[in-house]
Amino acid sequence: MIRTFRAELDRLTGRKVVLAAAVIVLVFGIGGASVVLASAKPARDASGGLTPTIERLSGSGGGTEVFRFAAAFAGTLVFVVFVGLFAMEFSRGTYRTMLLRQPLRVRLLAGKIAALLCVAAVVLAATEVVMWLSARVQASGAGVATTDWVSLAGLGSAVSDYGMVMLWVTGYAVLGMTVAVLLRSVPLALAAGIAWAGPIEHLIGDAWPTASKVFPGLLLEIVGEGGTPAVSAARAALTVAAYLAVAAAITGTVFVRRDVTS
Amino acid sequence: MRDASPPRLPDAQVMTRTDSVVSINQLTKRYGGRVVVDQLTVEIPRGAVAGFIGPNGAGKTTTMAMLLGLVRPTSGEGTVLGESIHHPERYLDRVGALLEGPALWPSLTAVENLRVLARLGGHSDRRIPEVLDLVGLSDRGTDRFARYSLGMKQRLGIAAALLGDPELLILDEPTNGLDPAGMIDMRDLVARIAAEDRTVLLSSHILSELEHVCDWLFVIEQGRLVFAGRSDEFVSQTGTEVLLGPLQTSDLLALAAVVADQGFTVGREGDQLVVPVDDGDPRQMAASLNSAAAAVGIVLAELHVRRPTLEANYLRLLEGEAA
Repeated sequence: MIRTFRAELDRLTGRKVVLAAAVIVLVFGIGGASVVLASAKPARDASGGLTPTIERLSGSGGGTEVFRFAAAFAGTLVFVVFVGLFAMEFSRGTYRTMLLRQPLRVRLLAGKIAALLCVAAVVLAATEVVMWLSARVQASGAGVATTDWVSLAGLGSAVSDYGMVMLWVTGYAVLGMTVAVLLRSVPLALAAGIAWAGPIEHLIGDAWPTASKVFPGLLLEIVGEGGTPAVSAARAALTVAAYLAVAAAITGTVFVRRDVTS
Repeated sequence: MRDASPPRLPDAQVMTRTDSVVSINQLTKRYGGRVVVDQLTVEIPRGAVAGFIGPNGAGKTTTMAMLLGLVRPTSGEGTVLGESIHHPERYLDRVGALLEGPALWPSLTAVENLRVLARLGGHSDRRIPEVLDLVGLSDRGTDRFARYSLGMKQRLGIAAALLGDPELLILDEPTNGLDPAGMIDMRDLVARIAAEDRTVLLSSHILSELEHVCDWLFVIEQGRLVFAGRSDEFVSQTGTEVLLGPLQTSDLLALAAVVADQGFTVGREGDQLVVPVDDGDPRQMAASLNSAAAAVGIVLAELHVRRPTLEANYLRLLEGEAA
């Protein structure tokens, strides 16, 4: 697993990838903060859990709550990225190349996802910092007070928000890997992933309120939002963890048992 | 109808287990009702350059994929470098392979691709310049893989296979898609690699490329082994002929009578007679025919032994199988 982890990390830390990641961090960090602050409303006008309120953002954790809100909007995008990263290896035949060097397949997948999550952790940390700085600069324009942001409580919120988003990204990574390994094709995996995480779950969710307690994508959104009145973040995180354990077991079993013919 | 007799395995009786780098026994792969590899039994001696011949879809790649742990056999057993093929992790660090063309990351350079593979296989980075030099890509190491021509990609694939300085090299159709010059380059490269005291298993459906480099051959057809043995035995199996051309074309009939008197069957090909060699030394036979012709006053302007090509024998073998 260590060998795969190092190899994958080598691939993900090339100059071009790092530059691209830096650009994404800056654009998402600055743009995300702008979007969240612009959509912030007074609590009396807010309609639901996904709407940031000026009162919440003015609290000690407001600086990094911006980050959590912005991340929650990018759910489908993150899922698609992970589906693509795993499915692409099938299309290119690079799993075959990798398995000739690392025939222990579970270790190969584990090393690969560990490296991806490691890079994601760094990118998220950088995004959180950029977004906090950007939000602090823009906050006064949106009527959000930032005096409590620089405090111990603010730091605690930053760590907890980071953990929530990281858990959320890990969930999308594992589910993305599962879809990719099961379908083994970029277009098929992307189509299935986007359809499920996008319209299908949300349409069913609109018609059937219990869906938010059951469907993995909706649960992950709740984790990203830090909980809703109907489902707490802890319960959503636990249910998601159970889903991920099952998904990882299915992925490992299928990847080990299937022939690699392309 | 198929020949019921088992495939020939010359010298099998003197080949001990430790002499075999690859040993497979009754290896079978089925996809649903379709049998792709059918009870294949093969031994590859250490140090051999073995050619794996068969038409497209004969089961060559599937067999190689089973040896490399990519495809699970339906039944049968096998060992590679003394380890069971059910545990490829025990031997793959000593095996280099290029299967179904090189599959690498297009956005990375050749050196970056090799570095990733070296990490993955636990090999040293120090081998990278060495293997790039061996395949003639030293000056293109910083080019992205996506910009490589097909021939360069194949060579980089071989460089990747050589990273771990393997005891056994498995190359599946390494000349696929190459132009004639590229094929000659690849053949020379394989010959150079083989000269480094490795065992090489090389598959192809282009027989002329195997003829010059392989000292051991396996022929499969529809997943079944139809020949296994030394390549010179395969080539000299049947089909060697002596060709005689008299100086005077008018002597052709008289010469045919002389050949027939010697107890040989004779045929005609233009202004030459063709005498098949059933057994014995063809050169000795040519010499005796020359003497017999001279004895009756026929001067030969042409006299030579025509040996069958690998391709001719292969086609004859397949025709025999089909019959």
